[in-house]
Amino acid sequence: MKSKEEKVKIITKEFVGEGEDAEEERQKKPSKVPRPKRKKQLPAAGCEEMVSENSPVDDQQEPVQEASDTRLLGVTSRRGPRSLPPIPSASRTGFAEFSMRERMREKLQAARSKAESALLQDIPTPRPRRLRSPTEKESETEFGTELAREVQRTQQEHDSQGYSRVKFHDSVRKIKSKPPVPPGFPSAEEAYNFFTFNFDPEPEESEEKPKAKNRHGANQEEKEGEEEEPPVQEGVSKTGEEEWLDGKEAEDLLLGLDHAAEDFVAVRPAEYESVHVRLQKEKELLFVPSRRTVPTYKKLPENVQPRYLEDEGLYIGARPEVPRINQNIMENRLLTQEPGRRWFGDDGRILALPNPIKPVPSRPPTWTREQDVKAELETQYKKAVKYIHRSQHLIGSGDSPGNFQLDIDISGLIFTHHPCFSREHVLAAKLAQLYDQYLARRQRNKAKFLTDKLHALRNAVQVGLNPAKTPKTLETTPKTINEYKSEIRQTRKLRDAEEEKDRTLLKTIIKVWKEMKSLREFQRFTNTPLKLVLRKEKVDQKADEEAYEAEIQAEINELLEEHTEEYEQKMEVYRVTQQQWKAWKKAQRAKKKKKKQEVEEHSANEEREQPGPGEEPEKPAPPEPVDRAVIEQQVREKAAQSRRRPGEPTLIPELSLAGSVTPNDQCPRVEVMRREDVKRRSLFLKVTFNNKEVSRTESRPLGADFRVHFGQIFNLQIFNWPESLTLQIYETAGHSGTTLLAEVFLPIPETTVVSGRAPIEEVEFSSNQHVTLDHEGVGSGVPFSFEADGSNQLILMTSGKVSNSVAWAIGENGIPLIPPLSQQNIGFRSALKRADAISSIGTSGLTDMKKLAKWAAESKLDPNDPSNGPLMQLISVATSGESYIPGFFRLEQLQQEFNFVSDEELNRSKRFRLLLLRSQEVPEFRHYKQIPLYDREIMERVFQDYEKRLRDRNVIETKDHIDTHRATVAKCLQQVRESVINRFLIAKHHFLLSDLIVEEEVPNISILGLSLFKLAEQKRPLRPRRKGRKKVTAQNLSDGDIKLLVNIIRAYDIPVRKPTASKFHQTSRSSRTFAEKHAASPTTHSPAHSADYPLGQVSVRPFVEVSFQRTICHTTTAEGPNPSWNEELELPFRAPNGDYSTTSLQSVKDDVFINIFDEVLYDVLEDDRERGSGIHTRIERHWLGCVKIPFSTIYFQARIDGTFKIDIPPVLLGYSKEQSVMMERGFDSVRSLSEGSYITLFITLEPQLVPGESVREKFDSQEDEKLLQATEKFRAECTLKFPTRQCLTTVVDISGKTVFVTRYLKPLNPPQELLNAYPNNPQATAELVARYVSLIPFLPDTVSFAGVCDLWSTSDQFLDLLAGDEEEHAVLLCNYFLSMGKKAWLVTGNAIPEGPTAYVLTQEQSHYLIWNPCSGHFYGQFDTFCPLKSVSCLIGPDNFSGFPLHMPYSEMKPLIEAVYSTGVHNIDAPNVEFALAVYVHPYPKNVLSVWIYVASLIRNR
Amino acid sequence: MAAAGPSVFLLMVNGQVESAQFPEYDDLYCKYCFVYGQDWAPTAGLEEGISQITSKSQDARRALVWNFPIDVTFKSTNPYGWPQIVLSVYGPDVFGNDVVRGYGAVHVPLSPGRHKKTIPMFVPESTSKLQKFTSWFMGRRPEYTDPKVVAQGEGREGKGSPPWKVGLE
Repeated sequence: MKSKEEKVKIITKEFVGEGEDAEEERQKKPSKVPRPKRKKQLPAAGCEEMVSENSPVDDQQEPVQEASDTRLLGVTSRRGPRSLPPIPSASRTGFAEFSMRERMREKLQAARSKAESALLQDIPTPRPRRLRSPTEKESETEFGTELAREVQRTQQEHDSQGYSRVKFHDSVRKIKSKPPVPPGFPSAEEAYNFFTFNFDPEPEESEEKPKAKNRHGANQEEKEGEEEEPPVQEGVSKTGEEEWLDGKEAEDLLLGLDHAAEDFVAVRPAEYESVHVRLQKEKELLFVPSRRTVPTYKKLPENVQPRYLEDEGLYIGARPEVPRINQNIMENRLLTQEPGRRWFGDDGRILALPNPIKPVPSRPPTWTREQDVKAELETQYKKAVKYIHRSQHLIGSGDSPGNFQLDIDISGLIFTHHPCFSREHVLAAKLAQLYDQYLARRQRNKAKFLTDKLHALRNAVQVGLNPAKTPKTLETTPKTINEYKSEIRQTRKLRDAEEEKDRTLLKTIIKVWKEMKSLREFQRFTNTPLKLVLRKEKVDQKADEEAYEAEIQAEINELLEEHTEEYEQKMEVYRVTQQQWKAWKKAQRAKKKKKKQEVEEHSANEEREQPGPGEEPEKPAPPEPVDRAVIEQQVREKAAQSRRRPGEPTLIPELSLAGSVTPNDQCPRVEVMRREDVKRRSLFLKVTFNNKEVSRTESRPLGADFRVHFGQIFNLQIFNWPESLTLQIYETAGHSGTTLLAEVFLPIPETTVVSGRAPIEEVEFSSNQHVTLDHEGVGSGVPFSFEADGSNQLILMTSGKVSNSVAWAIGENGIPLIPPLSQQNIGFRSALKRADAISSIGTSGLTDMKKLAKWAAESKLDPNDPSNGPLMQLISVATSGESYIPGFFRLEQLQQEFNFVSDEELNRSKRFRLLLLRSQEVPEFRHYKQIPLYDREIMERVFQDYEKRLRDRNVIETKDHIDTHRATVAKCLQQVRESVINRFLIAKHHFLLSDLIVEEEVPNISILGLSLFKLAEQKRPLRPRRKGRKKVTAQNLSDGDIKLLVNIIRAYDIPVRKPTASKFHQTSRSSRTFAEKHAASPTTHSPAHSADYPLGQVSVRPFVEVSFQRTICHTTTAEGPNPSWNEELELPFRAPNGDYSTTSLQSVKDDVFINIFDEVLYDVLEDDRERGSGIHTRIERHWLGCVKIPFSTIYFQARIDGTFKIDIPPVLLGYSKEQSVMMERGFDSVRSLSEGSYITLFITLEPQLVPGESVREKFDSQEDEKLLQATEKFRAECTLKFPTRQCLTTVVDISGKTVFVTRYLKPLNPPQELLNAYPNNPQATAELVARYVSLIPFLPDTVSFAGVCDLWSTSDQFLDLLAGDEEEHAVLLCNYFLSMGKKAWLVTGNAIPEGPTAYVLTQEQSHYLIWNPCSGHFYGQFDTFCPLKSVSCLIGPDNFSGFPLHMPYSEMKPLIEAVYSTGVHNIDAPNVEFALAVYVHPYPKNVLSVWIYVASLIRNR
Repeated sequence: MAAAGPSVFLLMVNGQVESAQFPEYDDLYCKYCFVYGQDWAPTAGLEEGISQITSKSQDARRALVWNFPIDVTFKSTNPYGWPQIVLSVYGPDVFGNDVVRGYGAVHVPLSPGRHKKTIPMFVPESTSKLQKFTSWFMGRRPEYTDPKVVAQGEGREGKGSPPWKVGLE
């Protein structure tokens, strides 16, 4: 607002400035302007100016007032900016100019009259009344509003000072305070006010009174010019002016018409909506969620207190950080949008998963400009941290896994046998072993323990037998005593055994020692320092004897008792048996009696058998009574054997190393050698952990006592629980190498075993090695003997003991470094907390999450304790799914969380479906652009085509095709095409480096040499050659960018006009052509006028017309049958749908037609009289023939350069070959060999396009693997030898499988009718067959399978499909020839215009013929014009070592296109008539030959 | 608007290719173009442009300042395929051949407002040392078949030379 006001002020100031300038100007050039001029220029304005000049009175003396005036202007204009009427700038400037002059003039007048007086007084003059009439009218008409009334009132009542106020109410207030001015006398101020106020309501009245407004507009302008410079004088020659004014008024009316134009234009200001209104509207439309915090009670259901899980002790993960304001906005929005509170948790906060953001950025930061690159690249070395695989741990703890340590202390090694042991050593070892046993037994002292026990039992029995002393155990006594007694017996036996063992051991020790002593004496040297001392302990003879005797007595008593018991039992048994025996005896006797009687009756034999069955029981002997003396003797014997005799001193052996070893020089040689050998030997140990060597001890020499001391401690830093711990003992004997003696498995220590507490343990080992030594050493694994005669052999194996200790290390803070497994000692709990959350609670090995959770609940773990965090999380994860632990791995385990709609809903969405289909590259949607934003904007018919296609996949449509067979074929082709294209689309996404990056190849020597040679090349060679151009990728191209350049050079043997019109039926072709079948030719009008030409003159005037995509260009006309044009024609190329992608270009099916016409001039002069004055001729063009080249060929070949045979209709009326003439002239014989006409062409595309490459996909094959390898090898060799040749070994069949190429070739019988046609002319038959094959429609693979590799269909498929390219034609033709007994090969090579193609080569009697399977033509071996230019390979059935308009019928469209291309219809003769005859000849297998005769008839006069 | 046709949203891009840091090269110019998805279409402005050749500033920054304006408006129905600006910088080599000095691409910012992006630039390397030499000698460095390749993911498992950078605002 303020700024606007200021702007207005500035404008007014400008006006002021202008006014001042004007004043200055006026002062400079006084009264030069003539009066009549002013009248002429703008009379009406002049009138108005007069008025205004007269009305204002003072002002010049009051700068304050002026300022207020300007403000007034500002206010009004602000209030109604529309009020300024549009004034053409020209008229305005003119007016300004005029008013300036006017003012000058007035000033001059004022100088003349009494100007000074006007300054002092306010004089109402009668003149304003005259002025008033228009103003009053204006006010009445224009101001319909209150405003207007007020203005009127001002007009009526205003005094001279009133105008100074700006606002209406101000002025009204002033008006009230001031005395009314008499009506009809508007003061100068009033007038001024009037003008200024007029600005405001102006637009309302515009239509009502154009005239008034018009004048008013003039007033305004006047005012604009005037306001800052109010008229100085008044009362200027009033009368004259008044008259003039009247006249002006009249003129004003007229002039209004001129201004009317402005009024018709309704000028409306730009619509403006105030901010408040807009905000109001926005408030209605938009919902802006508040930023204020939502009170918790709103977010929770009624009467529910917020529940803070954290306070309740539940673990809650860290939420993602969201600014508070955003949370508030979200909460507010959710509350308003969805009344349900499902978004809020129990604590009143929005539900949130734990923060998913990784703390580590996954992308390296981009470098900022300031930092140096090197500084950024500074290398930091970090120790490799091994990943702990968790298989050993049941549950991975969240803590960083500590390094665990196992301390292995290997103190030493003792051999109990070693090959280097001498005999003495063997005995010493034995002695030492026995002594160790003895020591161990003595330490345990089992005999003493058992003796004590026996005494105790005996006491107990005696106590038990005395019932008086133990009345309580009265009932149990007999039983207990019995038990005691049996126990006594057991104990006694054990004690006896122990005592016997002790005694035997002692005896053995003494015996070995004696042996040793005798050995030492025998060998006269001592090897070991062992010395056994037997210490005798004296005992008290008497007490000993008493004890001995008491013991014996006790034993005797016991035994006696035992035996008595036994006797009693036996007696009992005896009695029973005796009774039985007696009874038996009785019965026996009774039997005998009976038998005696029977014997008498029967034979005596039976008697013998009698005792057999029932064995006679022995007569039981009564048990012998226990004899005390016998028992006593037994006991005494035993005691004497196993026990120390009473009074005998106790022998205590003491083994010491106090003995001295005989020095070397006193020993025999063998012993010295042995000692040397021992000295050479050294040992070391390897420590293997989990079967990996982790460390080894130092190599220590074997001592003479066969002990090795290591005393090394190895600290193994480990990560997981050890599986095995082994020590490998290696022995090094001199320089002969190291042998593994034995392996010792160390037990893995319990977790309680920590360093410092582990006892040294001895682990025995033994080796099965066999060593025989040539010195005193006894060897090992071999027998040896102590006896001189070699008897009593011993075999000892190397063996020994390793003393070691294994323990867990203790960390710095006293925590054992033990991997968390089988933590059994609860005492370690606190110390192990760090290692594993689970083991820390003493429940390691827990596998059941449920139990764990239960345990966690029972043990009341603090969920907020950070050390328990991982555990709680684990439990919550495990238990939330009802302790469901999936047994599978899932990639997107959070997918469920992000599925915001159900799958069905997603499938219903049309937009989603469209997006999906597009991404699948379904043909209908592959290039779909701008998929609509909303579902509702997607038309249902978008899918119609697609769905229809899916439906119609198997329905055969006959609408577009003539018969069902062809429709089927088309369908089949379509399906093959689809499948191949799908394959291709997949392959298209595999890029090679060359697809992305253009890189020059490494130049080889030849290229380098060539480029060097080029330097010396002429700048402008005499015979310029075509250079290769830069290839353009076909992506950035648009319509018109690509041009087809056709360079037509020359032609040979164009048919010439026949000199006379008499011969109608002559064919232009030789008898070899298949023109015989043409129908009767219509009676056409032949160009008889050609007869006008004198003989020897031009017989033909050919020109070439090239038509492509219905664009036609033609060359100039040349003359003669061998014309030379050398012209370049340029044809634009349009890709289908403007799509210039490679695939699209490959599928262009357009052909380039090169037609040759004869230009014939006819004299069309009707009247011979005019011949003198002017020449009227008609130019006719007669079609002679054409060459058709498919665009795809040009595209793939990039350029086509060569001479082509012109396809000339078999019947060319009125034309004949010049051949005969030439022959007569003896023309070049080579040329005459070939019939037909030829044209030399060069066709290319500008710019050169990069042809698409075929798929590099390797198709699978059913061929034998060996065969494939062989072909691959052959191919590689060929490529090496002839890099340019394209050698074909395997091809892709129609189902996409690689097939060996010879599989296609097999003799096939051609249709019988063809064979029957010329039964005795094989050559003709061959031609007929070739022709038949050529009639099968040609459909290049590259067109049907855009960008896809060549597919070969078998002859069978080919005939079924009735469409195929060169290969199929060639294969079929070759097969036919083979069956006809010809020797035929398939030739692959480069031909023109086809490019890489396939021909058929046949061997005739003396020469070879090359057949073009697509046209049916054949060429001799040496034919110059054979289109096949190079041969790559020959493929035989068994080895590798090739018009009337007439066309094969396939579809209607190409026919029409062909007819069009001839341009017959372009004749514009007045009386032309057209004749059309179509003949279709059927061949077997639906192959049709179509003949179209088109003729234009011109009536001959 | 909804009745008047398919709904679209508009993306207006205003900015400039400010400057570049190519410590080794001088007298470079740059090209920019946009790569966008199928649902996008430019409605106004220039989709591609080629800047003037600029020389290094003489101050310590040694910046190549282009201040080359970009002004384009896209319409789209799908955020998928959000436009990326692809920059390629060219300059003369020792023999005066115009060779590529860097490729780079960045998404048009997703949020409105003023953004300053620094794009690391790279060029494809020759496949061998010999190739490197010959390409240097012949002035035909390996280059992408289409600069737009750098904005696409398919088939790009190659290496690049150490990045230089171009400032884009």
